[in-house]
Amino acid sequence: MTGAERRRSRWVGGMALACGLSLMLSACGGDSAAPSAGDGEAGGDAKIGVVIKGLDNPFFQHMEDGIEAAAEDSGVEYTIQAAASITDTSGQADKLSNLANQDYDCYVVNPISGTNLVQGIAQIAAKDKTIVNIDNPVEAEAAKAADATIATYIGTDNLAAGKMVADQLATLAPEGGDVATVGGVAGDVTSAQRIDGFKEGLSQDFTVVQEVAADWNRQEAQTQAETILRANPELAAFFVANDDMAMGVARAVAAADRKGETLVVSVDGIDGVASGDIDAAVAQYPFVVGKMGMQACEAAAAGHELPAKVDTPIELITPENAKEAQEAFPEPPSDYENPFADLLEG
Amino acid sequence: MTATESVGERVRVTLTRPTFWVEWASVVGLVLLVVLFTALDSTFLSAGNIRGMLLASAILTILVVGQAFVILTAGIDLSVASVMTFAAVMFGLAMTHGYGILLSCLVAFCAGAAVGLLNGVLVAKGRITDFIVTLGALSAASGTALILSDGKPITVISAPLFELSAGSVGVVPYTFMIALLIAVLAHVVLFKTKFGTHVLATGGSVEAAQATGIRTTRIKIAVYAISGSLAGIAAILLVARVGSAEPAANMTFLLNSVAAVVLGGVSLFGGKGSIKGPIFGALLLTALSNGLTLLGVSQFYQPLAVGVVVVGAAFLTRFDK
Repeated sequence: MTGAERRRSRWVGGMALACGLSLMLSACGGDSAAPSAGDGEAGGDAKIGVVIKGLDNPFFQHMEDGIEAAAEDSGVEYTIQAAASITDTSGQADKLSNLANQDYDCYVVNPISGTNLVQGIAQIAAKDKTIVNIDNPVEAEAAKAADATIATYIGTDNLAAGKMVADQLATLAPEGGDVATVGGVAGDVTSAQRIDGFKEGLSQDFTVVQEVAADWNRQEAQTQAETILRANPELAAFFVANDDMAMGVARAVAAADRKGETLVVSVDGIDGVASGDIDAAVAQYPFVVGKMGMQACEAAAAGHELPAKVDTPIELITPENAKEAQEAFPEPPSDYENPFADLLEG
Repeated sequence: MTATESVGERVRVTLTRPTFWVEWASVVGLVLLVVLFTALDSTFLSAGNIRGMLLASAILTILVVGQAFVILTAGIDLSVASVMTFAAVMFGLAMTHGYGILLSCLVAFCAGAAVGLLNGVLVAKGRITDFIVTLGALSAASGTALILSDGKPITVISAPLFELSAGSVGVVPYTFMIALLIAVLAHVVLFKTKFGTHVLATGGSVEAAQATGIRTTRIKIAVYAISGSLAGIAAILLVARVGSAEPAANMTFLLNSVAAVVLGGVSLFGGKGSIKGPIFGALLLTALSNGLTLLGVSQFYQPLAVGVVVVGAAFLTRFDK
C-alpha cells in the first residue's frame, strides 16, 4: 500500500512537472525556429517587425515565404517571429511585446485571435509606429481599447472563398443533393468562416446533412468521410476546409467507389485538382498576403497614405486551369491588384 | 432446478466480484455501445461499417499494445504518437529517395525502435522520470519530423501500400489482421514467456523483482523499445492509409492510446492487466467516434461524449485495489 502511495505521489509530481514543462515549451518553444533576420542590404527605408501565426501549418509557411520574398526584393531590414503553434495565443502575445520594446518603424501582425495581441499593439500605438494587420483581423473594439489605429488590413476573405466553392458546386452538380462539410479543429475561426461562406452560397437544391471536424488532419478526415459515406451513400458532395484534408476525403470517396458521383470540393488544393483527386477548389494566396504586408510598411515609410482594407486574390481552380495555377504558385495565375506596389512605384 | 439456480448464482457471484469489472469494463462498454448504436441506426452493424471500424482501429490498436507494455511496468509513453509521426516522415523520405518499399518499412521500424530505445535508456539508466523523458521525446520527435519534412506532407504513391490499406478478407482488413497478429504475439510474450513474467514483476514492485534477480533496468529499456518499434509499424500503416507521410501532431492517437489502456483495466501503477482489455478499449473508442459520426451528432458534442465514456468506463474499474 505504501509502495502504491509512493508511486502515486511520484505520479502526481510527474504530472505537475509535465504540466509546467509543457507550459514552458509552449511559451518559449518557438524561439529556436523563429528568428531569422533579413540578410539586410539595408537598402529599404524602414525597419520592420513581423509577428505571424504558427509555422506548423503550410498556409503560414507560404505567408512567411511571401514576407521573405518581399524583403529580399527591396532589401529592407526586418525580423520575423512566429507563434509556436497556431493555438499559442499567449506565446504570440509575448513575442509581439518583445518586438514592441525594440526599435522598429513598422509592425506587421497576424494575430491568432482577434484580441490576443492587444497588449503589444497598445505598446506600439503609444510609440506612434505604423501597424499593418494581415490575415486575421484585430477586433475593432480591441484596437480602440488599445488606443491604436490599424493603418491597413490585408487579408483573404474566407467567407468569399467558401461562397465561390458553393457556386462552382452548383455548376458541377446542377441537380443538387445532400452535402457534408469537413472542417478543421472544432471551433476554429478560419474553418468556421470557410464553411459558413460555403453554406451561405449553397443553392436551395442542396441540403447540408452533416458537419464534422477533422482537426486539419488527413487521416482523421478520411476516416470521418468513410463513415459519412456509409450513413449517406447517395451523398452528392463533400466540402472540405483545406487541401490536406480534401486529399483524405478524396481517398475515402475513391474507396467507396463513388468517384465522380460524390464530388470533393475544397478551399485550397491546386495540386489535388491537378491530379484529379479534387473536383474543384478555391485557392487563397497567403504568399501574396505576406508580400503585401511588407510592401504596405515600405509604402507607409515612404510617406504614402495606405488604403484601409485590401482583399488579396482568390482563384477558382478547375481541372482546366490547375496546371497553369501550379506553375504560377505561390502567385495567382492571373493578374491582381496590388495597391501597395503601385504606391511604391508611383 | 438446482442446476439453473447454481448457474444464476454463479453469474451473480461473478458480476459482483469487483475484479470482473476491472477485467471486462472495456468489453462491457463496447457491447453497450454496439447495442445502443445499432438500436439508433441499423447501418452501424452493417458489414461495410464493421469493416470501416476495424480499418480505422488498426493503427490505434498497434500503438495501444506498445503503450500497454510500458504502463504494465508502471511507466508511461507520452511520445508514441509523435514517434509514429517521426517514423512516418522517415518512411516517406526513404520512399522518395528510391529505397523501395521493404527497405523503407525497415527504416520506419528502426526509426521508431531507436527513439523507443533512447527513451528506455534515459528512463532506466538515466533515472529520469518517464513522464519527462517521453514528454521531451514527444516534442523532439515531432520537431524532427517537421524539420525533416519542412512541415509539408510527403506524397507516397505505392501500389502494394495501397493494396495493404484497401484490401480485406471478408470484413477484416489486412491492416487489422496485422494489428491482431501483433496483439496475439504480445499476449503470448506477456503471459507465456519469462520476459513477460519479468515485465509484470517489474511493474508490481521493482524492489521485489530485483530481489528475485530480475534485471529491471533491461526490462524497462525493452518495454520502451517495444513501444517505439510498434509506433514504427503503425507509421507504415498510417502512410499506407492516407497515401502520404504527414508531419501532423496526431495528438488524438496519444490520448486514445492511454485512454484505451486504462479502459482495458491495466493498472497505472503497473503489474496488473492484459493485452485483450486495451485492445477492446481501442475498439470501444473507435466505435464511439464512428457511431457518433454515423448518427450525425454535432462535432461539438463528440469530444464531450468521448470524455464521458472514458471516465464512465474507468469508474467501472475503480474497485481495483
